[in-house]
Amino acid sequence: MESYIRQRFAEYVGLPEEQLFADDVTLATVIGRSAKMTNSIDLMETFARTSNALRKEHGVRVRLPTLPLDTPMPRVLTIFLEEFDRQKRAAA
Amino acid sequence: MTVEADHGTVLVTQRPAGPDAPPAIITDLFGALTRHGLSLVDVTWEQQRLHESRRWSVLDMLAAVDLDRLTPLDRTLVWNAGRAELTTKPGADRLERQADAECRRWQDSNPTVSAIMQACGTWSRYWNEEEAHHETAFNRLAQLTGMAPIPDETFIEFRQVFPDDDMLRTLMLLAISEITAAVNYGQCQQVIDDPGLRRLFKQVAADEIQHRNYFVSFAKALVDSGEYQAKDAFAVAHLFLREDGEILGSSRDQVENRGTHVNWWDRLERKAGEDDFRPEAVEKKQQLVFGALKKITGIEVHSREELEDTWMDLVGG
Ligand SMILES: [Fe+2]
Ligand SMILES: [Fe+2]
Repeated sequence: MESYIRQRFAEYVGLPEEQLFADDVTLATVIGRSAKMTNSIDLMETFARTSNALRKEHGVRVRLPTLPLDTPMPRVLTIFLEEFDRQKRAAA
Repeated sequence: MTVEADHGTVLVTQRPAGPDAPPAIITDLFGALTRHGLSLVDVTWEQQRLHESRRWSVLDMLAAVDLDRLTPLDRTLVWNAGRAELTTKPGADRLERQADAECRRWQDSNPTVSAIMQACGTWSRYWNEEEAHHETAFNRLAQLTGMAPIPDETFIEFRQVFPDDDMLRTLMLLAISEITAAVNYGQCQQVIDDPGLRRLFKQVAADEIQHRNYFVSFAKALVDSGEYQAKDAFAVAHLFLREDGEILGSSRDQVENRGTHVNWWDRLERKAGEDDFRPEAVEKKQQLVFGALKKITGIEVHSREELEDTWMDLVGG
């Protein structure tokens, strides 16, 4: 699951996974580095597309809370996974 | 030729528009430029007529305010409004520049989109002029009633220009900003006693609604052209209306430090006498945002959850 989310996310952002999920990389850094992104709306859209892909594959709809732009990417990934588990349990 | 007018009636325009038809915002701008063959001269004439018909004098309006009657709350509302209005000039300056750049970018590939952009950039001069009324009226009044002066550094800080974005997103953001301002000023009217000050807030709120209607008409024209996607209007609405979103303004737990520019809704301050006053009226703002989305995209939503679901569906996988 984790690697699936990482792959999708990296694909939509247009950056390699290793660069994307390093400890010192925050949401703000991602917006700055990605040629496909202008601002946090693009970030929201990337989360939405990742979530839509998950929904298609696993039938679970993940809704992410509003995250501050200084949130590190590994933390974002953890929140994503936690939300996935929570929604999955709620749906079951 | 007939063009749907903003007030729900049908405006009959001969080219140039007859002086007897009431001035109105062209709500179907794409249709006007294509099916009805309006030129930019025609569209600009409509903008000028509406602008002239809505003009008012800051000097006259201020003369009607009884300064001695104003309460501490009244004065705080005026002070906050004046500061907020300082950020409109950079917004209008940017729109003028960006719309003209977009106009040239589309000139070869889609002349209609190019014309929509030019109509928008041209209108920005009226917008800028009307916002000048708001800014100077409130700031002058704050000064006359002895409120904390605005230092030049703050003035210059509030003049910082927004970063550019996709044009549809920009227009949706501006529409929401006008909605927020109009509702806030409407709330202010309800707690103000002095008739002169109430009239000022009422006039400014009416201007903001008119601005919203213009932004909606330009945004709708971009979507109607097929070159811009409904998902982007929905994305901005979601950004504002989601849990802990922008619409909560300065009452949010955590306001982003933007560094580049000032969003006026982040910077409203609570002062004496304001404890029992909550200008948020989030419910009202939500309904107006849903209304704008429907006009722009034709898609109707009724709740924040529906908005999010629709946006996610439009985004796709
Ligand atoms: Fe204004
Ligand atoms: Fe306005």
